[in-house]
Amino acid sequence: MKPVRLLLDKLYEIPALARFKPVIGAADAILYGTNETTHAAPHVVDNIDIKRYMILVIVALLPAVAAAYLSFGWRIIAIIMVSYIAGGAVEVIFAIIRKHDIHEGFLITGLIFPLVLPPTVPLWVVAVGVVFGTMFGKEMFGGTGRNIFNPALVGRLFITLAVPGIMTMYWQTPFASGPDAITSATPLTTYKSTAQAAVVNPAIVKEGTTQVLFTNPYAVKRAIHNYDSQFDGVEVYCLGGPAYKMAANHRRIGPDNAVRMVSYADLLIGKEPGSMGETFRLAVIAGGIFLIVLRISNWRIPVSYILTVLAFGAIGHFFLPAKIAPPLFQVLAGGLLFGAFFMATDPITSPFTKAGKYVFGISCGVLTVLIRSFSGYVEGVMFSIVIMNAFSPLIDQIVLRFKYRPVKA
Amino acid sequence: MKAKTRAFCGGYRFRNFEATPEDRLTSVGIPSTVTITLMQGFSNEVPCLVQLGDTVKAGQIIGRDDETVSSPVHASVNGKVVKMKKLAYLGNEAASITISSDGTEAWQKLEGCNARWEILTADQIEKLVYLSGASGAGRAGIPTRFKSSIIDGDKVEHVIVHGVESEMYGPLSATLLKGQRLSQFADGLRILKKMLGGAAFHVVLNAERTELIADVSGAFADNEWVCVRGLEPRYPADYDEVLVHAVLNKSMRGGHLAANVGVIVLDIQDVIQVYEAVAEGKPVIERTVAMCGRGFTDHPHARVRIGTPLEHLAAGNVRQGKNWRFLRNSALTGERFAEMTQPIDRNCDAVIAVHENDGREMFAFVRPGARKDSYSPTFLSKVFGKVLTKRGETNLHGEERPCIFCGFCDEICPAGLMPHHLFHHVERNIIDETLLRFKIYDCNECNLCAYVCPSKIPLGRYIKEGKNKLISEGLHPVRPH
Repeated sequence: MKPVRLLLDKLYEIPALARFKPVIGAADAILYGTNETTHAAPHVVDNIDIKRYMILVIVALLPAVAAAYLSFGWRIIAIIMVSYIAGGAVEVIFAIIRKHDIHEGFLITGLIFPLVLPPTVPLWVVAVGVVFGTMFGKEMFGGTGRNIFNPALVGRLFITLAVPGIMTMYWQTPFASGPDAITSATPLTTYKSTAQAAVVNPAIVKEGTTQVLFTNPYAVKRAIHNYDSQFDGVEVYCLGGPAYKMAANHRRIGPDNAVRMVSYADLLIGKEPGSMGETFRLAVIAGGIFLIVLRISNWRIPVSYILTVLAFGAIGHFFLPAKIAPPLFQVLAGGLLFGAFFMATDPITSPFTKAGKYVFGISCGVLTVLIRSFSGYVEGVMFSIVIMNAFSPLIDQIVLRFKYRPVKA
Repeated sequence: MKAKTRAFCGGYRFRNFEATPEDRLTSVGIPSTVTITLMQGFSNEVPCLVQLGDTVKAGQIIGRDDETVSSPVHASVNGKVVKMKKLAYLGNEAASITISSDGTEAWQKLEGCNARWEILTADQIEKLVYLSGASGAGRAGIPTRFKSSIIDGDKVEHVIVHGVESEMYGPLSATLLKGQRLSQFADGLRILKKMLGGAAFHVVLNAERTELIADVSGAFADNEWVCVRGLEPRYPADYDEVLVHAVLNKSMRGGHLAANVGVIVLDIQDVIQVYEAVAEGKPVIERTVAMCGRGFTDHPHARVRIGTPLEHLAAGNVRQGKNWRFLRNSALTGERFAEMTQPIDRNCDAVIAVHENDGREMFAFVRPGARKDSYSPTFLSKVFGKVLTKRGETNLHGEERPCIFCGFCDEICPAGLMPHHLFHHVERNIIDETLLRFKIYDCNECNLCAYVCPSKIPLGRYIKEGKNKLISEGLHPVRPH
């Protein structure tokens, strides 16, 4: 490695390259680490640094990336490379203009951003999104540590609004690649369109009903045991294996009707369509727990977020089953797990107080369920996190007001 | 007595560092010259009583002032005053006296001492404690009628003696209390009880040294006014603020000293010095110093004369081939010895030699790090911590970066502050009541926040700067009336 060392030392001395010192310095620091020592007390410091901190987030994302590669093919690698190159260029340009080192935070933005996109996204859209996200989501606010919104989400929000067709129509089915890859609706879309057009968990299926959605086996049982129910020519949707088994195997439904199932197991192992990184949810959960165990992300936000979606989903589904999907389905479908473990936990854009983290997680949960159920959009994770990002400074201020009473003069 | 051992939130256990001191006591002999500053610890500088060329005896008082808060300073060797000059000392400048020694070990006994100290009156004891310099111990001193402390004797409600061993590198309480020193320690406390009759006494030791706690408890079996207890050795358990809170369940307001709430905090050696002064008539001319860190080949506890230059203490014991940084008392808060000629002073209990590591390490940020200490569980050292010792060295291990609100400093702060929040205020030069509101004066400057920061921000220094700026703006910590 000596030639590399000599080369780097030479590069530092070339006057023409003086402007590109951040780039050379970044390469140098990655390869050789630092030779700086502590100036004063504390003389001995912890071994962790931001590079390790960030690289471990990437390690936590690797299972999801690998799953995305297996489900959607080589294209995902190209997408990630485009994201890194386009967004990295913005980061480098700003580092050169501002004359500071290249900050490592971009390593995460550049990887998270492609993972929240649909697998069929055109490469130019990826480039536009990541450039916009990095520039207007982060650098315009003053760079790392000063941004209000999660840059990856700003990028995704931008292309959701700018090129809506791409973001909502083509959802490639995992494990089906090739020129005529099948596209289909995501589970959340299925629930929303079916639930609004049909009867959810009815006790009697009346004549003339075309679609029925059962969210649990008891509902199926009730409908079957009521002999007034008419199942002729009804499309039956079932959430979860037990309801499906009961409906498909029953002699009054199974043989004559199309019975479709959204399976929780399929959601977990990535058989349902969705964004690239979110479909194989076991990997997302494993990565999220890995980060929590390493104390790199705080457990308070994901736990309160997911529990709120469960609780609010359960209550909502009890009263408004046609609008609000059942709790477990809400948690497993869409980008909720990915958002809760990897995006809501971004320490810069979420509150830094402990109580604030709970407030943030709970609010995100409530907003997600509300947006999913009552808005024109199918998915609410991105919007809820971005909205709460804007509120986190306020949440912190309020918490601090309670925690530290103003001093009396 | 069974008491809770975990008494504060936050804090950090420095486990299993390399080259910690061994349970052994040696003497490094009499150095050829000693340099004694006329300011020792928290004391004011005392006027000099000798002149250039004077012959002095070990134990002779060379500086004394009964009007300001101070204790007498003694010559620590027999010899001749050869130099008097100003010396940098703990951030200040202090007059110092250099004595060239004749190599003899004898020292001058204090008048009025008595091996049967029980027959001495409280007044006589007080005088002996003051004249020996033992009254200058700790952060606030032991009160005598000679103005040796900022607190009056009758206002002392509690005396806390600590040896929790919470520092990364520090002396072992078991070594300081070995053999007959345990009974000397016990007598030292009894002498203090005679001086400060109204006070309750607490001895706080490392909760994991059960044998030592049993021995010390045994030594005070008949003294119900002494309470011996263990505390988890989590840094900064040896700090006054933490001890007062842990032992008395009393919290000190920001910026107060333990003395402000009627508490004196001493360490084990301070108590033994009291015994030596009263029963043996020995002034404070010696100190036991733990020699720690890989820079030393041997790691004993060394008996050294006060004023001994570091080069004499380290002679023949420094590992060759690398640069070492020598630190006084603590790797987290201690001052560095700028030169090898700087002396050991009366408050020194450890000298730490850590590797001045300006070497680069390839791909340091992805190494498993079985011997690298970290608060975050991202290194293998969390798994192998019991088997492999951890390195203590001065490399920064990363570049300084903007704060990313990771919350490490928040979680680790033993005072329950938000160091990163204070840092952001000080960095933006917002120096006003908001800093008071966020309790900046509660900071006990243990520097743990700066230790754990992955962005390598010197948080402790910023907070200290904030305090200094606040004081210069007239916003002092609120003192009790």
